[in-house]
Amino acid sequence: MLDAYCTSDEIAAARPDIAVIGIGAVEQHSDHLPVGTDWIGVSGLSRLVAERLGAFLVPALPFSMSQCHGAAAGTVWLKPETLAEVLNDLVISLYNAGIRKVVVINGHGGNFVLEATIQELNLSNPDLQVIMPSSSSPGVPQGPIFETAHLEVHAGESETSTQLYFNAEHVKDERVDYVPPVGREFLDYAVIRQISPHGVWGVPSKATAEKGEKATLRDAEAIAAQARAIFATLDAHKARAEGVE
Amino acid sequence: MGGMLDYQNTTYDIEAGHPHTAILPIAVVERHGSHLPVGADWMIVDAIASRVAETMGEGCYLLPTMPYGTSAGHVGEAGTLSLAPLTLMHVVRDLVDGLIAQGIRRVAVINSHGGAGESTVRPQGNFIVKTAVRQLNYDYPDLKAIWVQPFTVAKKRLLELLPSASDDLHAGAVETSLLLHLQADRVKGRGEDFVPALGKEYLDYLPFSEISPSGVWGHPSLATAALGEVVLGAAVEATVAYIRESFAHLDVMRGSQL
Repeated sequence: MLDAYCTSDEIAAARPDIAVIGIGAVEQHSDHLPVGTDWIGVSGLSRLVAERLGAFLVPALPFSMSQCHGAAAGTVWLKPETLAEVLNDLVISLYNAGIRKVVVINGHGGNFVLEATIQELNLSNPDLQVIMPSSSSPGVPQGPIFETAHLEVHAGESETSTQLYFNAEHVKDERVDYVPPVGREFLDYAVIRQISPHGVWGVPSKATAEKGEKATLRDAEAIAAQARAIFATLDAHKARAEGVE
Repeated sequence: MGGMLDYQNTTYDIEAGHPHTAILPIAVVERHGSHLPVGADWMIVDAIASRVAETMGEGCYLLPTMPYGTSAGHVGEAGTLSLAPLTLMHVVRDLVDGLIAQGIRRVAVINSHGGAGESTVRPQGNFIVKTAVRQLNYDYPDLKAIWVQPFTVAKKRLLELLPSASDDLHAGAVETSLLLHLQADRVKGRGEDFVPALGKEYLDYLPFSEISPSGVWGHPSLATAALGEVVLGAAVEATVAYIRESFAHLDVMRGSQL
């Protein structure tokens, strides 16, 4: 495993082609989950993906765009422009050290600046490939794991299950289920405690560690498979484009 | 209740604990000679910060350690992750904005580990954090923000333990000892002792590898796990004392809002 616990020489000798960057968050997660839930979850998932890709695992960024949780105790955030700057600097650091393929794994739904930053990085640096694969992928079995996935935005069945898998000792039993009567675009208009009194959006009472394990391992496979496929397509595209010249 | 709060607590735990002081640790991820992990500072700062927060106890909210800082001198070396100075300044500003919004009015930034050859006036590494902290104090009159570097405030004890500590800038005896204590399986040999003939100001002019090709500035051959344990204790003790004394002085100078 290539990560920040390796020396620079070990990383240089392994010549990894790919790096994986997880983006976490520190924000309120209702009554039952720690504020570090997104960071803990994405750190674990990124490690699984990096293992599968033989990639260099960048320490996951603990913080991102959590201002949608407002002043809830323990919540801290980066503004969109700051998150864009951090991702840009990390990718350029990797690029300067010879890594041109970067997989970004987003652990927090509100990070809408990531896609724009990734597009900008790719289009302004033609030999860079920065991708953010989704966790659903053709070729990986997709049967339903969560009953309420379609209702979940925050601290619900899937997030709680994942946390039970990675961090069970810090998951509490008192769980409030709540699904607001509005669409998730309301997070553009109000902070979550105004939308849901306990800061939950989903059905955490249905969470289990078994579901969390199954979903996490499936997501890791799916993201790794997608990453391989996208990089292969981009490499083939580049080879064709160079052949034409 | 009692005890410090951190990312493993729920928002309701943190609300009930009414924290008045936040600890924000910031590290760097960069080449550390041939023998130490690129995340050496991250591991050291994280270990110091969690012990500082535990010692400060109730009323203290410890944020996760920001793994990367400004490592311009190590750009291009495998595993180095370097933020632009303004990026790091914005990270500090945004995180403190969030702390202020929840009612926290004291923030201590543990700004990487510093060194026994430094002073509390000018940071070693992550220089922009000084600027960020100063500006926060101007922008928010009821906020008290400080920055501290543990090895710098512990320099008296460090120099007693290791007379060459003031020449121990990077991947030397202090950092290597800490790693031997914290994570010995990640220390690959001892590296090569090297103290450049150039002054530290040359770090502003040249990449680190041109000043020290082996990536060491110090005497890693003097490192032991036992020294690491003592240094860790001394760094934690001095950091807690510096934070407490600094806020006490500021309460006199600027009035106490607690």
